[in-house]
Amino acid sequence: MSRAAVQRQQRAMIQLAAGYGALGVVILALLFWLPWQTFPDLRLWIPFAAAFVYFEWQTVEVNDRLFASPSIMVLLTAAVVFGPESAVLGTAAIAAIGLLTPADISERQWFQPAANFGQLIASAAAATAVLALFLRVGVQPDVSGLVLWRIAVGSALASIVYGFVNYRMVLFAVSRVYGRLEVRPWSHIAAILLPMTGMGFLGGMLGATYLRIGTAALPLIAVVFFVGYMAFESYARLREAQESTIRGFIKALEAKDLYTRGHTERVARFSEMIGKQMGFDGTQLERLRWAALIHDVGKLAVPRDLIRKRARLTDEEYEIMQLHVHYVEDLLEDVDFLRPMVEIAANHHAHYDGNGYHGAGHEHGETPSKEACILAVADTFDAITSTRSYRVALTQPYAYAELRRHAGTQFDPEVVEAFIAGMENSGHRYGSSVELTEEEARYLAEEGLDQIRNADQVHGRNFPLAPMSKETPDG
Amino acid sequence: MAETRLHRLSIGLLAIIAVLAVGSMILVVRTDGQWGLVLLWAAVIAGTHSLSVPTPSGKRINLAIGPAVSAVLLLPDVLAVMAAVALGLVGGWVVLQWRSKTDRDADSDYVAESISMIAFGLVASIMLGGVAGSNIPFAWQQLLSVTAGAVVWFVLRALVSAWVGTEREDLASRYLWLLALEDWTVALTIFTGGALFGMTWFVMGLWAFAVAILPYAFSHLAFVRYTSTRITYGQMIRALAQIPEVADLAPRGHSARTADLAVAVAREIGLHPVEVTDLEYAALMHDVGRITLTEPAILKAGYTDEDIARWGAQIIAEAPYLQEVSEYVRVQHNPYRRPGEAKDPDVPMISKIIKVASAYDQAVHEMQMSPLESLERIHRGSAYDFDPDVSSSLRRVLVQRGVVAA
Repeated sequence: MSRAAVQRQQRAMIQLAAGYGALGVVILALLFWLPWQTFPDLRLWIPFAAAFVYFEWQTVEVNDRLFASPSIMVLLTAAVVFGPESAVLGTAAIAAIGLLTPADISERQWFQPAANFGQLIASAAAATAVLALFLRVGVQPDVSGLVLWRIAVGSALASIVYGFVNYRMVLFAVSRVYGRLEVRPWSHIAAILLPMTGMGFLGGMLGATYLRIGTAALPLIAVVFFVGYMAFESYARLREAQESTIRGFIKALEAKDLYTRGHTERVARFSEMIGKQMGFDGTQLERLRWAALIHDVGKLAVPRDLIRKRARLTDEEYEIMQLHVHYVEDLLEDVDFLRPMVEIAANHHAHYDGNGYHGAGHEHGETPSKEACILAVADTFDAITSTRSYRVALTQPYAYAELRRHAGTQFDPEVVEAFIAGMENSGHRYGSSVELTEEEARYLAEEGLDQIRNADQVHGRNFPLAPMSKETPDG
Repeated sequence: MAETRLHRLSIGLLAIIAVLAVGSMILVVRTDGQWGLVLLWAAVIAGTHSLSVPTPSGKRINLAIGPAVSAVLLLPDVLAVMAAVALGLVGGWVVLQWRSKTDRDADSDYVAESISMIAFGLVASIMLGGVAGSNIPFAWQQLLSVTAGAVVWFVLRALVSAWVGTEREDLASRYLWLLALEDWTVALTIFTGGALFGMTWFVMGLWAFAVAILPYAFSHLAFVRYTSTRITYGQMIRALAQIPEVADLAPRGHSARTADLAVAVAREIGLHPVEVTDLEYAALMHDVGRITLTEPAILKAGYTDEDIARWGAQIIAEAPYLQEVSEYVRVQHNPYRRPGEAKDPDVPMISKIIKVASAYDQAVHEMQMSPLESLERIHRGSAYDFDPDVSSSLRRVLVQRGVVAA
């Protein structure tokens, strides 16, 4: 990325952090000074604040639409417990202390916490204000106790408001800093908002339990918060462990071969980028990433000297190379959740027009799945732009041209364009920085891409012996 | 005890519970008119008895304790509670038979579950009656009583299932006890749902359902996914461990057989369930370093078993969550004692088990020895190569499996 663009981005980040931070301070100050709200009893405020901070610090991410962060549940329980007179101030103050995480402090990050500060306070204040109004409006002052259905509906509404304000503010921040607006389709937003509403509703009802049965409810509420969270967390950690295990394996095995080092990681990154560009949701992106991670697992079982061979492969050797596609299936067929990914990975050499070699679940002449097409483009791009035993890396523009030339036959044209657009957007550069001579380009165009891929047999020609561009930028 | 004796025990227990149910029900009908409510709770307990949730230990807990907690809080006295719990247990047994969901664990689960449930009902409702006059707030009286009952339930359940399980399949009782304790998160979630319902029913009406069921539903989802992820994680490690075998660099099936035998030995010895899982992964991957043999230069230069172990450990160490497993693999060939050294080297039990299991499998499947010869070979190496504790445990496992005569 150019220096001017970097500076522009940094300026936008500073403005945004300052703006959001100031917004948070203003909201807090208004709530403190206006007589509308009083600060809740500290003996109640501290436990809820501690629970909230704990959850914010321990955030574990999972691409699973069914699990939302439990923070909204804590906030709404606290709001109901504090009562409408203290709910907004009390929860805004809780949100204010959840801003700095230990990771931010150790990495000296300031943009994220400052933006979070404003964002959390604004969302929490907006949500609990809705709840407080809902509990108050039209209620006679002398009615003792709160009406349960008002708490139920109010907390559900409040969590929707929370999610909405949060989402709009993140969207605004992203569009200001990165200059692009990733408007998600409504179904994506609903998928996030729905579990959030459930969490918020539950939070409100737990608050109501406290109002009805007193302090004996607090241990039970704590159990709901923490044991529920622990169950979720151990699930999330296990998923993380699973992914890091396969990443580690592949990394360790690739490391032995200079020419394939980092290949899988890059292909996974490219595939994910294309998926994002094409509007995939979290679950689809995860599937794509996994497919990319395992796409070359079978190759690990192929003798190294074959992969590294400097001369043209014999027919027999070529056969062995192609077998790696089927190794993937043999190896991973018993892993239940990888089944769809194995199918994608096994078909990453299948062509858009139905040619090419392919694995199970795919007939000759059939168009491979979108995911397999994405993986094919990502894999080819990395193969062209990295040095192989039989040739040096080629340039990025050359790789684009190759992809475009085979779009419609070997590659899905939509995927190719999404890839190039995404790549240009990210500003990363891969491959050699030296342009091909006209003759070399013509040779490549004539001989075609099939020879470049895998044990491609172009080796032996005088290819541009240009130095590799320095370490590829990691995204 | 054998399966048949266990079955007889569970039938006998069922008869006692049935007598208890009928007796207390008669007393309930005679003393006051709440028998309809008792029947309702008995039906709920019986229904939830056949629903279960998978737990981190790989077993299942049935949900009946949830409604039992509510029943203690909502029924008038000890008698009514005992009638509901006992009737519910009898009903639960009938539902199990009717749905013919009787797997090999059915009898032992039923024994553990019913003994601990009855203990829960007694302790919780007697305590609730005992604290009734004190000046503790009512909600706290309720909470304390059911909590005390639940602790008794949980401990008794773990104890009984450890005892029954040991009798049945030669597993160390320590292993089973720890396994049952692993499940405290799930048990606590079910208990909390029941307590929330029982405490809020009178003050919140139908909203009590939302308060009790929603938190449980969220956790249930997480538990179910945790369990399925754990299964696929195991499957994935099994798959990765096969790469050398697929590439014809290691004998087919050796790692899977070694893992199977090693896990059986570890359970017999009584390792902690968490360690048993680590052991399983380490045993599956103990030969993964052989992938390195795809490198012709290494084949030419030659290598030792220790090299394979070290390369395997390096590969595994790339996964941040498998650091310990990598260490077990690295030292898998170390002898537990060294000739000429006064102090024994500190080899982890897991590595010692892998060493024995792998050597045994190698003797049987690669050297074509009989099981008895292979066992003899292991025993002969007990001076410093193979830990005698592990080799005698291996013998017990083989006897148990009928491979070697007792």
